[in-house]
Amino acid sequence: MYKISFKFSIMVTTLALAAVLAAVWLAKLDREHESRAMLLPDRVMTLFPDPKPVTAFALSDDKNRAFNLASLKGKWSFLFFGFIHCPDVCPTTLAVLARARGNIAKNTVGAENIQFVFISVDPNRDTASKLRQYVDYFDSSFLGVTGDNAQIGNLAGQLGAAYQVAITPGVENYPVYHSTAVFLLDPRARYHAVFTPPHDAEAISKRFKVVRELEAGNAT
Amino acid sequence: MRWRPAVIVCLLSALSLVPAASGGGGVSVRDAWIRETPPGMAMMAGYMELRNDTSRPQVLVGASSSGFAKVMIHRTIVKDGMAGMVHASRIELAPNGSLNFAPGGYHLMLMNPKQLLRAGDRAVINLEFRGGLVLPVDFEVRK
Repeated sequence: MYKISFKFSIMVTTLALAAVLAAVWLAKLDREHESRAMLLPDRVMTLFPDPKPVTAFALSDDKNRAFNLASLKGKWSFLFFGFIHCPDVCPTTLAVLARARGNIAKNTVGAENIQFVFISVDPNRDTASKLRQYVDYFDSSFLGVTGDNAQIGNLAGQLGAAYQVAITPGVENYPVYHSTAVFLLDPRARYHAVFTPPHDAEAISKRFKVVRELEAGNAT
Repeated sequence: MRWRPAVIVCLLSALSLVPAASGGGGVSVRDAWIRETPPGMAMMAGYMELRNDTSRPQVLVGASSSGFAKVMIHRTIVKDGMAGMVHASRIELAPNGSLNFAPGGYHLMLMNPKQLLRAGDRAVINLEFRGGLVLPVDFEVRK
């Protein structure tokens, strides 16, 4: 009787110890993989397991310089499609992105190899100089970009960014419909991830930190 | 006296009409603000929390301001992955209900400001309700 209960208690103790050890190990594993766990189905960001390379396009920036595939290489690019006459969604999103950039810049890795690009789908009204003035208001490092309709469509199409400009003759404030997502392209100019609204600066900068760490890990 | 209940009912209904007829009663607004925009922008957006403090529905039918060429009630809607704006000609506030005008949803579209508005400036926008109630609301410009 005594022997059985002694064996039994050893068994229980062993099992309990094993359980504690397993829990500690799992917790450690979880901490190590916390970054990856953040990338599981997520309301803020969708990360693509096999990022699609963007192909050639030809736009121009707010200083009338070419903005093309080469402009995306070597940098992380946050792209947002909108238009200047947009009172609600665009200023809201650009203000969030300006705060996100501020957070990223505070990080040890910094924001040097990152660009934020506002792509106007309304080149009819949004000239280079107007774009420069507009993006400057939110963050002087932001870049305004536009181009002819075919080339805007080219890049937007590659990212699945829907838009529609309903130019009506004689109507000054014609409606423009545009995607509300923020597209993240990696330094190899691949469509890496997409942020979906409602956008939040902290959520974007935190996830970007993880994405960049993972990518740095992949590269080494 | 037999007519006393009728008098009370009359008095009560008269009292309940007072808020609807006067400036602020019945509907209240909190956290009214206008987003500062880059200089020279033709469009600004105003946001607020609108509350119906009465037990009857209230209907917002329009808005105007001497500070802007035109004020319209708009709503951002997302359809087929695209955001666009639709004009809301009337917005019904449920009895004791509230409605948030917030980025990405309902907003007052403020067209062609008559002067440059910077953070800290204020502008009065008149909210017009069905039945003639006009509620002047002081909006603060914020960055």
